[in-house]
Amino acid sequence: MTQDKRTSVLRRLIKRLEPTLWVFASLSIFVGFWEFAWWRGWANPLLLPPPHIFLANLTDQFRFFDPGGTRAGALATGGSIFSVLGVIAWSSFRVTAGLVLGFVLSLVIGIGIRYFKIFGKLVLPLVTMLAPISPVAWLPVAVFIFGIGNPPAIFLVFIAIFFIMTLATLSQIENVPVHYIQLARIMGCNKRQIYRHVILPSILPELFVTLRMNLFAAWMVVLIAEAVGVGSGLGQVTMMARNTFNASLVFFTMTLIGITGFAFDQALRYVQRKVLWWVGPSSVGGL
Amino acid sequence: MTLGLKIANVSKTWNPDGPEPVPAVRNLTLDVALGEFVVLLGPSGCGKSSLLYIVAGLEDATEGSVTFDGLEVTEPSPERSLIFQEAALYPWLTVRDNITFGLKIAGQSTKKQDEAAERLLRLVGLVGAGDKRPHELSGGMRQRAALARALAMEPKVLLMDEPFAALDIQTRARMQGHLLNIWETSKASVLLVTHSIEEALALADRVVVFTARPGQIKAEIPITAPRPRDMRSPEMIDLAIQCEALLAEEVEKSFKEQEQEIA
Repeated sequence: MTQDKRTSVLRRLIKRLEPTLWVFASLSIFVGFWEFAWWRGWANPLLLPPPHIFLANLTDQFRFFDPGGTRAGALATGGSIFSVLGVIAWSSFRVTAGLVLGFVLSLVIGIGIRYFKIFGKLVLPLVTMLAPISPVAWLPVAVFIFGIGNPPAIFLVFIAIFFIMTLATLSQIENVPVHYIQLARIMGCNKRQIYRHVILPSILPELFVTLRMNLFAAWMVVLIAEAVGVGSGLGQVTMMARNTFNASLVFFTMTLIGITGFAFDQALRYVQRKVLWWVGPSSVGGL
Repeated sequence: MTLGLKIANVSKTWNPDGPEPVPAVRNLTLDVALGEFVVLLGPSGCGKSSLLYIVAGLEDATEGSVTFDGLEVTEPSPERSLIFQEAALYPWLTVRDNITFGLKIAGQSTKKQDEAAERLLRLVGLVGAGDKRPHELSGGMRQRAALARALAMEPKVLLMDEPFAALDIQTRARMQGHLLNIWETSKASVLLVTHSIEEALALADRVVVFTARPGQIKAEIPITAPRPRDMRSPEMIDLAIQCEALLAEEVEKSFKEQEQEIA
């Protein structure tokens, strides 16, 4: 009996840990190949240092991280894990601010285009024309308008998702089941109430999935912005590592970016589950 | 002023100005008295659903008029509630919030909403399911929740568009019994669309048989037998045979038409 209980506890524990184990397995394959290539002498440790090398002397790497971004290059005093976290926090803040701004404004503009007919006719062609322009092309514009610092980076993240999300909002509004709206009309909803009580809740889940899919684009853009227009953050560190030919630092920063992006996706997934409980756990993205 | 629903010379053409206008209903006149249960029976695509949407006020008639209690129908209203084949419950609301949706829009107090929800959940046999989400319910339960949502607004007419067509036969029979109970207590008129002869005969005070598209009234069959009706009684079997013959002609006609369209 106690034996039974113990095995069931063990089984439940395994079940709990299973997703995490798969993440590690997935990572191990990649790292394994890399280390193997190094061991066989295929990968030059100066150009492609495997994880056990670029993760070896962390404190040495930490020196290159300066959250303020006032100094380019190694800190004389030697950095700490906190300076690394600070740099990650700054990049994360820029991504988050851009995402929130982009999500909210695209929702407002998208709904506005459908709600106010004339506004829609005036704005939609513009949105459609601006949508295909790469955020990278906006980079000089961002610097012209906002100079150096956080605003251009946030602006670029915003640009990276705003147009796509606005068009996604429009297509989601078209796809609201017609019965939902007919029912609302029968129940006495006016136009404003239909948008607020029916259209908004029925488009949110899919829009959140779209946001998650564009999260990675946002991360790519923020790194470019930081490398060029901000002077701090993970992008700046990567650029500095490139300029100083510090391969270990390049890969260390890439690792940090990967982990942070992964954490962001998990966080968004969590928010999605909590706020949009009526959609299943996840239809896109696995895990 | 005449009470009840009056459908006078209504025609409906879909896509009237397009290259291929589709006549759905032609010159149709039908009255539904207060508290009467009328079933529209016809082959698929004969325009009976179109008629229901016009009565609901969701679509305009191309010609003719619909009046309810003497007032012309121009827009949807909770007193003419429509029940779809799919329950169309809002997935982001609990069953209780779905049922009280109309009351909330009408600005009723939370207390009144809660009372109404409890009463209606009991009425449709969903006690204890109020906090569930629509996707946790079976098809029959969802349709009962949709019925409760319509009843919350105390409708004078229930318009039902093949409400049980998506359910299995056993659930269907139970739901029909359920609907009759609710109809008898609520005193609302019912206008129900179906293509099932058995369903029509089990429910209706009067069965209105439709022609193939464009829909016109082919025959009206009053049924006086008390409910619940025994479908194997000679009277019911006679009626079923009568309906079958009427429908068969129309199905034949619409098949021929389709063949011509293809050729």
